[in-house]
Amino acid sequence: MSTLVKCAARTLLVVIIAGFLGATLVRLAPGYGVAEEELDARLNADSVQALRDAHRDRGTIFSFYLRVAQRMLHGDLGFSDAMQEPVRQLIAERFPETLKSVGFGLSLGWAIGLSLAILSVTARSAAVDVGTGLLATLALCTPAAVLALLCVLAQAPGRIVIAATIFPKVFQYGRNLLLKNAALPHVLSAHARGLGRSRIFLRHTVPLAAPQLLAVAGVTVGIAFTTAIPVEALCDMPGIGQLAWKAALARDLELLVILTMIVATVTLVANSTAELLGKAAAHR
Amino acid sequence: MKLSWIRPSLVTIAALMAACAASAAPGASELRFCIGAQPKTFNPLLVDDDASETVRYLTGGVLVRLDRNSQKLLPELATSWTINRDGSAITFVLRENVRFSDGTSFSADDVAYTMQKLMDPNLHSPTGDAFRSREGTVSTKVVGKSRITVTFPGPIVGLDRLFDQVAIMSATSPKKEMAVLGPYYVSENKAGAYLLLDRNPNYWKHDPGGRQLPYIDRVRLDVQQNRDIEALRMSRGEIDFINSLNAESFEALKSKAPQDVLDAGVGLDSEQMWFNQVPASPLPDYKKAWFTSNSFRRAISSSIRRDDLVRVVFKGHAQPAVSFISPANKFWFNQKLQPHAFDSQAALRALNADGFQMQNGTLHDRAGHPVEFSLITNAGNKDRERMAAMIQQDLAAIGIRLNVVTLDFPSLIERITRTFNYEACLLGLVNDDLDPNTQMNIWLSSAENHQWNPGQKTPATPWEAEIDRLMREQASTLDAKKRKQDVDRVQEIVWEQQPFIYLVNKNALSAVSPNLHNVHPAVLRPQIYWNIDQLTLGNEVATAH
Repeated sequence: MSTLVKCAARTLLVVIIAGFLGATLVRLAPGYGVAEEELDARLNADSVQALRDAHRDRGTIFSFYLRVAQRMLHGDLGFSDAMQEPVRQLIAERFPETLKSVGFGLSLGWAIGLSLAILSVTARSAAVDVGTGLLATLALCTPAAVLALLCVLAQAPGRIVIAATIFPKVFQYGRNLLLKNAALPHVLSAHARGLGRSRIFLRHTVPLAAPQLLAVAGVTVGIAFTTAIPVEALCDMPGIGQLAWKAALARDLELLVILTMIVATVTLVANSTAELLGKAAAHR
Repeated sequence: MKLSWIRPSLVTIAALMAACAASAAPGASELRFCIGAQPKTFNPLLVDDDASETVRYLTGGVLVRLDRNSQKLLPELATSWTINRDGSAITFVLRENVRFSDGTSFSADDVAYTMQKLMDPNLHSPTGDAFRSREGTVSTKVVGKSRITVTFPGPIVGLDRLFDQVAIMSATSPKKEMAVLGPYYVSENKAGAYLLLDRNPNYWKHDPGGRQLPYIDRVRLDVQQNRDIEALRMSRGEIDFINSLNAESFEALKSKAPQDVLDAGVGLDSEQMWFNQVPASPLPDYKKAWFTSNSFRRAISSSIRRDDLVRVVFKGHAQPAVSFISPANKFWFNQKLQPHAFDSQAALRALNADGFQMQNGTLHDRAGHPVEFSLITNAGNKDRERMAAMIQQDLAAIGIRLNVVTLDFPSLIERITRTFNYEACLLGLVNDDLDPNTQMNIWLSSAENHQWNPGQKTPATPWEAEIDRLMREQASTLDAKKRKQDVDRVQEIVWEQQPFIYLVNKNALSAVSPNLHNVHPAVLRPQIYWNIDQLTLGNEVATAH
């Protein structure tokens, strides 16, 4: 129980710090508080000034923090200047799309990564080992944005890119873990006693790898969410990744703060959950 | 007994199929195209960005409409109008039995309400600012349900034409600005993703055969910032047109489907560069001296190969620019002026006369400073990035080192309007109006958009004082001949002094699916859908004619 409370407190603290650090960066970024409309030749001097006043900093960074915190305590997430909609509504509209993308990407990425890792360990073939390793390396060294552009050109669903980002990490970690476990004394002893390979693999090799794989699962959730930003922006998918991209370009402070906090929360919760589950599995 | 569950199931399936068929609305036509960003407002009086302008054009009902092809004003909600002798008042006779999209009746009270809202000084409406020629209040006089006179504090040139931008709002509808008089109304808005506009069931216009317009049932506007993806979607047939294309995408689409692309000839937009002449800028004094020197600016202008910019960057779909008025604007363009010819030797001679000397292939000023400056432009605009690279090569030929810096738009605006921490800037002027009076806030030395040295208390140079005088003079008379003389002289001064170095006027390029009919591309915005209520899709063409 105390572990859970500690995890929750740590998550809350990190999320608050992440949100406010994000806000500070946006506030200090060049071009913050500037409206494109200022260049409209129809506007007279009074209107240009009014526009500047409307976009000018409203108080110091600290007063902004305080205002956002007060509003959030009342359940108000603020208003997006760029999208002209309440942030809460934007998140509610777009979060399911990102969840679908991330869910699909994680499932496919894990399925491919683990399958290739098992194939690589069990096949005992240099060709398979090299082939799977090359495939994973290729996916690992190709930027997500390039993969997203390829998806656009090939009219393929952008969610594949998230899977392509996840699988090499799962593959490499899973393969190394399975190889390490396969060399443990009791596994070698089971082989010596003539137990079937499948049985040894499922009963002795995989269960030992489970806690560590759960820890990787937490990390991959964070990776999937951060990958969703360029993927949704380039593949024109209306999720929170696309929203974050547009908010960054428009220096939309209130929206960016909330999005930063959401991504931080998801990453931390996933990591903490994986950590707790890993610990529980290890105890068994 | 066994069949007892089948019957209700069949009924359910049939009902579901009927529901699906109804939602698909057989024969319902949908026009699809892209907008570059989420509209910032649906209030037609506050429109200040392209996306909101698109929505206003498609949904707003106006008293008069400028025919983008003939460039003549046509009656819309007003059947006729008259302007008083001094150009300070306009009387409209309104169409009767017209209703807003929500069923509310339209009357002269709505026009009065719209004008009062529009001219509210606290609203800071860009559309309203165009009507402000001098201090004072605007009055409206409603006579009956269908006659209204709007009186302004002073004369306004091109008064009736300005009403093309004024979408009439309802004074009484509970839906406020979402109740519209135009061909479509906003039925769904997924911020940052798409907007759906449905046909206004109360739209007043009918075709000669008595069929209610518009022909197309629904318009879907996809928010798409990436122009390359927009072009890709066009080539795949996912959208029906692209209103404005860059030359590269135009050529790419042309190679795949030459029948889909249209070049309407030189448009109103220009590309230009200018030097920072702000006295308070954080630039060293010797650079300020270069940039305020007319000989320096003219030498730079003469060193740029505009023909090459047209040929290489714009693939021939542009013209070397002469002035702030495009040759497409036939009445206002000063025909006597020619583009500054490329002549690097003459440029060097002029620079030598101004104290600049070439030493080991590098140009130095009188005090021995090597001539080097940076040119900022907005990142992501391929045409401008290529233009900057070509200008860099041209200036290298006369010993000037140019550093090209691309910045995202907010950072660039901050530099040119707040910090003035830049040396030269390359940007474009988007021109929506033929009348040069709409450029008052660029040419008056006191204006905030007088980019090379904005917000001057008194004109910094005699030629800027002369431009101030001429622009004010042309704005205070309705005599077209006198106005033309004044604007011609302003163009001459700008040509001589080169505060803006005009580079090219781009052609109006667009792409239209063969599925879309009744399209008459124009150089004025919105080039393709200006006659939106007349457009038809696919097999509807037969019924529309």
